[in-house]
Amino acid sequence: MAFLLVFTVLLPLVGSLILFGSPHLPTRTARSFALAITLVTMALSLALLAAFRPEVVGAQFAFAGSDGKIGLGWLPRYGVRFALGLDGISLWLFALTSLLMITSVFASWESVTERAPAHYGLLLALQTGLLGLFASLDVVLFYIFFEFTLIPLFFLIGLYGGPERRRASVTFFLYTLAGSLLTLLGVIALVAVYYQHTNPHILTFSIPELTEGLKQIQWDEWTTARTWGDWKADKPFWMTPQVLIFMLLFAGFAIKVPLFPFHTWLPLAHVEAPTAGSILLAGVMLKVGSYGFLRFNMAMTPIGAQALMPLMATLSVIGILYGALAALAQTDVKRLVAYSSVSHMGFIILGLFSLNSTGIDGAVIQMINHGITTGALFACVGVIYERYHTREMSELSGLWKRLPLWAFFFILASLGSAALPGLNGFVGEFPILLGMFRADRIYAILATLGMILGAYYLLLMLQKVVFGPLKEPASHGHHHDAHDAGSSHGGVRPVGWHEIAGLTPLMVLIVLIGVYPKPFLDRIKPPLVPIAAQFDRAPAPAPAPTPATVAAGPGGFAAPGAAPITIIGD
Amino acid sequence: MTAIESARQTLVILVPEMLILFSAIAMMTAGAFVSLPRRVWSIMSAVTLLVAMLLLFGLRHQVTDLYGSVALNDAMSGYGRLLFVLTGLILLGMAHDQVDDARAPEFFGSLLMINAGAMLVVAANELVFLFVGLELVSIPTYLLLYLSRRNATTQEAATKYFFLSIFSSGLLLFGLAYLYGMVGVSNLKALAFLAQGLPTDPNAVNAPPIMGLSNTPHPILGLIALVFVMAGLGFRVAAVPFHFYAPDVYQGSPTVIAALLAWVPKGIGFVAILRTLTAVLPTGEAPPDNNLTEQAVVLSWIIAVVTMTLGNTVALAQTNLKRLFAYSSIAHAGYLMIGVAVAFRNGDLAAHGLVPGVTPSELGSEAVLFYLVSYSLMTLGAFAVIIGLSTPERPVETLDDLAGLAKSHPILAFSMAVCLFSLAGIPPLAGFIGKFNLFVAAFAASGGDDARMYQSLAVIGVVNSAIGAYYYLKIVVAMYYRDPVGAPLAPRLTWPTASAIGTCTSLTILLGLWAQPIYVASRESAVALASHGHPVAIMASNEDDRSTAEKRLREADEAEREARARRGLQWAPPVRRKP
Repeated sequence: MAFLLVFTVLLPLVGSLILFGSPHLPTRTARSFALAITLVTMALSLALLAAFRPEVVGAQFAFAGSDGKIGLGWLPRYGVRFALGLDGISLWLFALTSLLMITSVFASWESVTERAPAHYGLLLALQTGLLGLFASLDVVLFYIFFEFTLIPLFFLIGLYGGPERRRASVTFFLYTLAGSLLTLLGVIALVAVYYQHTNPHILTFSIPELTEGLKQIQWDEWTTARTWGDWKADKPFWMTPQVLIFMLLFAGFAIKVPLFPFHTWLPLAHVEAPTAGSILLAGVMLKVGSYGFLRFNMAMTPIGAQALMPLMATLSVIGILYGALAALAQTDVKRLVAYSSVSHMGFIILGLFSLNSTGIDGAVIQMINHGITTGALFACVGVIYERYHTREMSELSGLWKRLPLWAFFFILASLGSAALPGLNGFVGEFPILLGMFRADRIYAILATLGMILGAYYLLLMLQKVVFGPLKEPASHGHHHDAHDAGSSHGGVRPVGWHEIAGLTPLMVLIVLIGVYPKPFLDRIKPPLVPIAAQFDRAPAPAPAPTPATVAAGPGGFAAPGAAPITIIGD
Repeated sequence: MTAIESARQTLVILVPEMLILFSAIAMMTAGAFVSLPRRVWSIMSAVTLLVAMLLLFGLRHQVTDLYGSVALNDAMSGYGRLLFVLTGLILLGMAHDQVDDARAPEFFGSLLMINAGAMLVVAANELVFLFVGLELVSIPTYLLLYLSRRNATTQEAATKYFFLSIFSSGLLLFGLAYLYGMVGVSNLKALAFLAQGLPTDPNAVNAPPIMGLSNTPHPILGLIALVFVMAGLGFRVAAVPFHFYAPDVYQGSPTVIAALLAWVPKGIGFVAILRTLTAVLPTGEAPPDNNLTEQAVVLSWIIAVVTMTLGNTVALAQTNLKRLFAYSSIAHAGYLMIGVAVAFRNGDLAAHGLVPGVTPSELGSEAVLFYLVSYSLMTLGAFAVIIGLSTPERPVETLDDLAGLAKSHPILAFSMAVCLFSLAGIPPLAGFIGKFNLFVAAFAASGGDDARMYQSLAVIGVVNSAIGAYYYLKIVVAMYYRDPVGAPLAPRLTWPTASAIGTCTSLTILLGLWAQPIYVASRESAVALASHGHPVAIMASNEDDRSTAEKRLREADEAEREARARRGLQWAPPVRRKP
């Protein structure tokens, strides 16, 4: 199976190189080819999903090199290895990427007519970047895939986006690059700390080895917990290595998520990106940030995470409320969905930094949920924009009568996003709030307000666009682009087969996760147990305990695994 | 080893340089009497370089006496000379149609001389010889700048470069004199050995000075040498505050000369810094009252930070491509200075370093050498695309000239984009691996009291990379998103230029994906730079017979290697200096 994983990651890249190599391919051939590649990738991902053994905690499908370590030596000088593998967390994000890529191809089916081979080539290159990123077991490899995704997305936004596409693509690129370079330094610092405090020295960039090894380090500076209040200590709390490294790692991931003060690139990039780009940006790219927080900040610098928990929770709550209020003020549907992403990603970070297993479990399942619902919402918005060339809510109304099937998809996705019980959003957001309530009530209460606001702006949007008297733009022509002027058509095209094919799997999952999340949770939980266990201790830290010894003791919180989600499923 | 023997060995390893110089002189002389099309002259130059490359391969096992010869054939010299021959061929591909027939012999002759000079610097093991190599690069560069004089700007550029270069040579020479004065020898390996303040014989605690030379380096002389050599070489590498000629000179000179100036002086400047400063000033465990290396670290820290920041921020405002690349080359000098700051680091391995058995200092030199390789490829690649697109009637000078390139010339735009993304340090390209090495080296050196210094250097470095990405991205945006401005480009792309572009682009991608060969080369070179042997042979040759001396030399080398491998340490003698 190890070979299968590598093949799955590299197959889209091969496809994209073929498409780049034949720029004069007709649109029909290019899109069929891209669809074939994404379908094969999806099939391979499903095969990996089927072969995955839920009870195993560590990474699976990893292959060993001739020296017995995971992966192949790639920069042997520094022990950087080409190592791929999946555990329960990355498995679902991996599968989600494969699925949303099919939706993206279908979403561009009719709308991309110019330079189609390059468009699909960029999509496939982006897919390799995203799949490789989730499957990486080596920090440098992770970083390389992470940065590599920037190039195709930069061109996707800049070449195929809306009127402000140039500014959007440059802003997106620079913002992400600036943050991720600091993350790279954080990662190197982790490796250096591990090297300098092991005896004999071990130089490794392997994610599993670092996660395990950093817990065992016996270095006072590393293991001493300081909190905001510790002013009397010889050094202020932010000078401890864990906090400093946490901040370096934070820079890249906070921009990617995006957390509150770093979100300014997001509405611009989402609105200007073509539909396929928005789906992937919101559906998968934002998860990279929360995935990074989980894999690096929480698993490798737990004391830093604990010390900065109030900061993280505050920023998340501000993001939740600010995103919701901003969404409420929007008149453009796509912009509304973009701001709702800011709000919902805030929930995910809030869940992660509740620092107990309930909240973390909820956050991880919410990453998948948000990918599905937001991907579906952007795809639905794309359907409308393709037909009317506007996304203004004042110009659209009562589309239920014109496009009933579309309206069904749109309503279901919105309700899933609004966390209606029985749909997937509830399965994620409820444990997040429960976990946070146990950790610190005030954040949970404020976040609940965000949930109510979320339902409000989504229902308001549905009321304006889907229900009410039918209203369409007169000539379908409130034009943003000059070249759209000629494309007036008599009646509105009904929802096509490709749109149905792109959205149906997402709808099925919205309901499936809502009523029966057990298969998902079964695989997600085992790798989260050791991460949550690191925080599983009494709030007041004993005098300088090492995380390793404390983790063995009985927990101060409810036993892991007692999450209430299973009740809903029964 | 007798003097004759040593001279013979030196001459043998310098055969490639002599061949190139001979060929250059022959071309320049013949140019006065016969008139041939420029094609003939450029083919002659290419053949010369190719033969020189073959000779380099043939001579790769030749060794010379560390203390007796003016040039070395160690790994640094071998790989470095190979790199300069390769980039010389790339430059030749870019230059082959950039000059008219009348001036061709002088033009290509100068190019060859510059190449030979660069190779001499890399091989030099003697202060004077190193200086000769640097001048052999400078003087033909003046000629090249004057040769293509077309207007007042070009002449201004040439004059400016001439005077500043002369001035910097003076500073350098002054510094080299003090370096000599520090211990009283001009052989670099002997200088390095003596500057460590080590006893001349590892078995004797109180060994007498060899041949009356001082083996207690004078720290004040060392400091003066450090500052002046750094100043002199800072001009070559365009480091702040010796950078201000670069934008004017690049803009005023023909593109191919700008490409040459962006690479060759920077390459040899950094190799010379590694050869004369980082490898010479006390590394390993410094004598207790000698804080020369600490001062060197502070100096290079300041230069690195100021150079990066100035280069990157001023480049943001540029629209002229050559000025932009001039500031970009200043910024890259700043990144490279991070590696130099690490290379000055002294300290033991027990607590520091990041790679088992390698000192931070070696890791720093290694990162600099790796970065030089990737820098040469991506910079020359970008200039080659500009040269390929330019014609005398429709020159490519500003950002606007590149607008819409992706539609009219997609492959050239792609090559340019690869080079630019690599310069910005985006993976998976060579420039990223180069930057990664520099940052890892900075963290590897940050184990002691000065940890914050190296860590802050790395942080400033990445912030600069992010700033720098903007102006590279600006060119990509112009090429891919904008519509053409003005008259359409009508490039007459010839195969030598095309292959120069192709080589740079494909190597930039390949080295990003598989960097191991360059790692091996730069590691071997860094080890060769840092090793300074042990002058047993010199002492022995006075009394014993030569074969005994050589045997002892081999034994000493063997013992050093074994000790190093066994303990994961750089060779450390039992007692460091006389009490």
